[in-house]
Amino acid sequence: MRKPRTAFAFTVLFFVLLYLPVAVVVLFSFNSQKSLTVYEGFSLRWYEAFFADEALIESLGMSLRVSLVAMVGSLVLGVALALGLVRARGKLGLYAGFIMLVPLITPEIVTGVASLLLFKGLGIPLSTMTVMIAEITFSISYVTVILRSRVAALNREVEEAAIDLGATRWQALLLVTLPALLPSILASGVLIFALVFDDFVLAFFTTGVTPQPLSVRIYSAIRFGIQPTINAVGTLMLLGSIALIGLALLIPRFFGRRGGLSILSGE
Amino acid sequence: MIRLSNLSKSFGEMHAVRSLDLDIEAGQFFSLLGPSGCGKTTTLRMIGGFEKPSAGVILLGGKDVTYEPPNKRDVNTVFQSYALFDHLSVWDNVAFGLRRKGVAKAEITQRVGATLEMVQLGELGTRKPRTLSGGQRQRVALARALVNRPRVLLLDEPLAALDLKLRRQMQIELKQIQREVGITFIFVTHDQDEALTMSDRVAVMNNGVVEQCGTPEDVYERPATRFVASFMGTSNLMPGVYADGAVTLDGGLTVNVGQRSFADGTAVSLSVRPEKIWLSDFEDGMTRVRGTVRETVYSGPTTTYLIDLVPGVRVAVLEQNTARSRNEDRWAGGETVDLGWRTADCLVLS
Ligand SMILES: Nc1ncnc2c1ncn2[C@@H]1O[C@H](COP(=O)(O)OP(=O)(O)OP(=O)(O)O)[C@@H](O)[C@H]1O
Ligand SMILES: [Mg+2]
Repeated sequence: MRKPRTAFAFTVLFFVLLYLPVAVVVLFSFNSQKSLTVYEGFSLRWYEAFFADEALIESLGMSLRVSLVAMVGSLVLGVALALGLVRARGKLGLYAGFIMLVPLITPEIVTGVASLLLFKGLGIPLSTMTVMIAEITFSISYVTVILRSRVAALNREVEEAAIDLGATRWQALLLVTLPALLPSILASGVLIFALVFDDFVLAFFTTGVTPQPLSVRIYSAIRFGIQPTINAVGTLMLLGSIALIGLALLIPRFFGRRGGLSILSGE
Repeated sequence: MIRLSNLSKSFGEMHAVRSLDLDIEAGQFFSLLGPSGCGKTTTLRMIGGFEKPSAGVILLGGKDVTYEPPNKRDVNTVFQSYALFDHLSVWDNVAFGLRRKGVAKAEITQRVGATLEMVQLGELGTRKPRTLSGGQRQRVALARALVNRPRVLLLDEPLAALDLKLRRQMQIELKQIQREVGITFIFVTHDQDEALTMSDRVAVMNNGVVEQCGTPEDVYERPATRFVASFMGTSNLMPGVYADGAVTLDGGLTVNVGQRSFADGTAVSLSVRPEKIWLSDFEDGMTRVRGTVRETVYSGPTTTYLIDLVPGVRVAVLEQNTARSRNEDRWAGGETVDLGWRTADCLVLS
C-alpha cells in the first residue's frame, strides 16, 4: 500500500523536530570554539574539559552508583512483587496491581515533592541514600509491570515438576522459575538503569548538596550560563542510553526466545 | 500399594471428586478413564500432592501421605504439558531429581545415561527441550520421572498431544517400559482404546465418582452401569421394560434375555455390542430378529451396518472383512437381514 504523502511529510517533520535539537547538541560538542551558535571546526576540547572537571566526574560517579543500586534494589523487590501479585489468592492481586500503576501515571513532580516532604517529615537528611531510596520506589512499578505478564504466562506445572522431583519451594524458585524469567529480568534491569541515570525531577528533589547526580549538576551549571562542556556530557549520556536500550532489546535474542521488553520491541 | 479411601475434593461449590475408593496393587498398569471434567486430573494431583483433599485418606505403601508435600512422596509425575525445564539441556532435565536428592556424581551419570538409552534419547542429551519434537519431549518428561525410580509414576494424558501413529507406537513402548522397570503406573486418559490396550486394571470415572473398576475385559464385556456401557465403545443401548426373562423394547419388540435380578416392570436398557451380533451362520438357541439395513460403512478391516429392527430401534453391527468374505456379499441399504445373538451377550442395565 502506498503511504499518503501528507502522512509521510508529518512523519518526517516529527522526526526532525524530535532529533534536531539533539543533533545540534552532538554537533556543538565537537565545536573548536566556545560559541553555541556558530560551528567553527572539529575538536575534542570540551570532552577534555569534562574529564578534567572533578565536580562533574564526581556527579557522574554518583549517578552511576545511584543507577546501579536502584536497578538491583528495584529488581529484587519488583520481581518478588510480580510473583506475589500473580499468585495472590482472591482480589488482593487485582487491587495491588492497580495501585502499582499509580506511580507510572503520577506526575513525577508530585512524586518528587512527596518524597521530599516524606524525608523532611521523618527528619532524614537528604543525601545519596535518599536519592537511591526514592529511585527504587519509583522503579519498582516498571519492573513489576514488565514482569507480571511474564510470570502469568509461566506454566505452573513447571514449578510443580521441580517440587515433584524433590526440590524445595525455594529451590524451585531459584532453579526453575527465575531462570525462566531471566531475559525479562535482565532487560528490565537495563531499562531501569537508563531511566534512573537520566532522571532529573526525582533526583532534584531528593538529593543533598554534594555530591549531586549528573542531571542535577548539569541543571545547576546551566543557570550560570551554558558551557559547551554540557554538550559533551549530553552527547556521552545519549550514547550511553542508546547502548543500554540496544542491550535491552538484544537480551532476548541472546537467549534465543521471546520475553525481553516487548513494550520496546513491539513483539 | 496405593489406597484411596473416601477421597473427596471440592472447589467451592464444585465437587470435582466425590468419596473415591480405590486399591491399586504394586507393579500394576492402572488407568483412570473418563470424559473431560470427570475429575481424573484432580485425583492424580491429590496422589501427587499438588492438591489437598477436602476429605479422605491416601495411603502409599501403608503410610498415610494425605497431607505430605510432593517432594516428600515417593511418587513422580509426567505432566500433560510435559513441564520441561527449557533453560536446561535434556541431560540436566533428567538429572534434576537425582541432584536434588544428592545422589553421587558417578551414579547420576550412569543412571541418567541408562534412562536416556531406555527412552531412545541417548544421542540428544546436550539438546535443549525446545529444539525437540513432540514425541521426543514426551520421552524426556518420561525419563525425567523414571530416573528417580519412584514407587508410583503418575501420567496425566501423556500421549494426548501426539499424532495417532506416534501415539500407537508410544502406547506399546510405554507398556514395555512399565514391564521392564516394574513401577506402578497410574495412567490418566479419556481414550477408551488406550485404556483397554494398555492397562492391567481400569477405573471408569464419571462426574467425580468411579462407576466401575476392573480388568479391561470386565469393564468392556460386563459394564456395571449404563454410563460404562456407553463410554466403552458402541453399545447399542435400547430402552425397554423387563418382565419375566425378557425385555420389551419401546418399538414393541420382545427380546429373550434370560432370568435377571430385576423386578417385573422395571425400565431397563438392553445392550448388545456390535461385534456380538451375527448376520449369518446362526447357532441354535440364538435370539433372532429381522431388520432393515439403513447404512453400510466400510472402514478397511471392518464394515459397520446400521440396521433398524423396528422403527426407532437402530443397532450397529460390526463385521470383519476377512479373507473369506467377498465384496458382493456385503449388505446394501434397504435390504432385509436376519440378526442373531447369544442370550449371554445381552446386557441388561438399569
Ligand atoms: N483449581 C480448580 N478450581 C476450580 N475448579 C476446578 C479446579 N481444578 C479442576 N476444577 C474442576 O473440577 C472438575 C474436574 O477437573 P479435572 O481437571 O480433574 O478433570 P479431568 O477429568 O482431568 O478432565 P480433562 O480430561 O478435561 O483433563 C472440572 O469440572 C473442573 O472445572
Ligand atoms: Mg485432566
